[in-house]
Amino acid sequence: MDKKRMVEKVAQCLVEASTRFRPDQIKKYEEAISKEDNPEARWVLEKILEDAQIAEAKGIPLCDDTGIPHVFIEFGEGIKINSKLDTAIREGISSGLQGLPGRPMAVKGEPLERLEQSKGLYKESEALLPATFLYRPFLGKGLNITVLMLGGGPEIRSKTFRVFHKHDSKNVITQAGQWAKEVSGQLGCTPCVPAIGIGRTHYEATVLMLEAMKEGSLDQQSEFEKLVTEIVNESKVGPLGLGGKITALGSFIKIGPQRASGVRIVCMRPGCCFDPRRASTIIE
Amino acid sequence: MIILQTPISEADIDRLKIRDKIEMKGTIYTGRDAVLPQLVKLLQEHPKEVKIDLQGGVIFHTAVSPAGIGPTSSNKLEIEGSIGPLSEKGIKVHLGKGALKKETIQALDKYNAIFAITPPVTALLTAKILSKEIAMFPEEGIEALYRLEVSAIPAIVAIAHGKSIFS
Repeated sequence: MDKKRMVEKVAQCLVEASTRFRPDQIKKYEEAISKEDNPEARWVLEKILEDAQIAEAKGIPLCDDTGIPHVFIEFGEGIKINSKLDTAIREGISSGLQGLPGRPMAVKGEPLERLEQSKGLYKESEALLPATFLYRPFLGKGLNITVLMLGGGPEIRSKTFRVFHKHDSKNVITQAGQWAKEVSGQLGCTPCVPAIGIGRTHYEATVLMLEAMKEGSLDQQSEFEKLVTEIVNESKVGPLGLGGKITALGSFIKIGPQRASGVRIVCMRPGCCFDPRRASTIIE
Repeated sequence: MIILQTPISEADIDRLKIRDKIEMKGTIYTGRDAVLPQLVKLLQEHPKEVKIDLQGGVIFHTAVSPAGIGPTSSNKLEIEGSIGPLSEKGIKVHLGKGALKKETIQALDKYNAIFAITPPVTALLTAKILSKEIAMFPEEGIEALYRLEVSAIPAIVAIAHGKSIFS
C-alpha cells in the first residue's frame, strides 16, 4: 500500500465531505423546495442548495464550522492494521484540513487550560485532531475509509439517556423523536437530519448514532426513520426557525444489540442542514 | 429584493418590515462572542479608541476564518447583549440567526435598527466578500472585528419596528 497515495485519498475524502452534497441530499432539498409553501422557508432551502452548488464548484466549505473529523476504517481480508496505517490516515486528515482549509479552532494548552480556553487557539487548521478512529472488519478485500465532519451546533444539543421501552419499540423511537423535536427550535441551522443510535451502553449508543450517520440515506428511509421525521416536522419550526413544513429532511436510526432490561440507552444527535457531511474512499 | 447600501439611513430602516428579503452592499463589520462585549465596553469607557464608524453600519455575527464566514447564534449572551448598546451608537442592521428576547426587540425599535437573519451558507456568503481587513481586536484571531467590503449579502428581516418573525 503506497503511503503517499493513501494520504492523498484520505485528504480528498475529507475535502469532499466538507464541500459536496451527495445526490440524496440534493434530491431531498429539491423535494423540500417543491413541498414548502412558506415563502421565507422556501428561500432558505433555495439558498442552502445554491450554497452547495457554489461550494462544489469552488471546492470551498459548505459551512464555516467545518467540524471535527470522525473517521471509520473498514478493513477487508489480508489488511494489516498497524501504526503505519493509522499514521498514514492521520496524515491524510491533517492534509485535508490544511487543504480545505478547515476552521482553525484547535484549543491550546494543558487539560484545564483547554477547558477554559485561556491559552488561545492554534492558527493552523491542521492542528485540529480527529476523534478516536473506529476500526471494523468486513468480508471482502481492501480498505474502506469514511470521513464524517461533525459541526458544533448539533453537538451542543445532542443527548444520550435511558428510555423505558414498555415492551413496544415504538415507545423508544417516539421518545428519541421527541428529543429531536424539542431541540429543533434552538438549533438555528434547520432543516435538520436527526441521527439516533440505540444500544446497551452510552459508548455503544453513540457509536451506533455515528454509524447511522455513516450508512443512512435520505432516499431510503425506514418506517421508524419516517416516524422521527414526522415528529420533528410537527414542530413547524421550519428552515432557520422561520416556520413551515420542513424542519427535518429525514432521519437515520441504527439499533444494536440490547441487554435484558426494561430500558434502552438512546443517543440522539439532531444534525443540521448540511448533515451528514460525509464521504468515503476505497483503497485497494 | 431590497438593496441596502451602507451607510444605511433612518429612511432605509423606516421602509423595512419583517419578512422583507434584503441584500447588503458596501462596508460591513463582523463580531461575535469575544469582541462585541469589548466593543460595547470601549464605547462606554473610551469612545475615542473605537476606530470604526458605527453610523448606518452593519454588524454581522460571524467569525472570519480561512474556512469563510457564516452566522453564529445571535441569542448568545455576549452577542445579544451588544445589540441594544450598538444600535444606540448608530448600528442599523444586526445580522445573525436565531430568535431574540422581547427586551432586545424593544431596544431595536427604540433606536430604529433591525435584526436580519441569513442561513449558514458559507460558500455563498464568502463569495460575496470583495476585501477584508482586521479593524479592531486583532488578538482575537478568527473572532477579531473585521471590516468587509461585500457585494450582496442576502438576508431576511426578522425583527423590525417592534415585530418579530419568530413570534
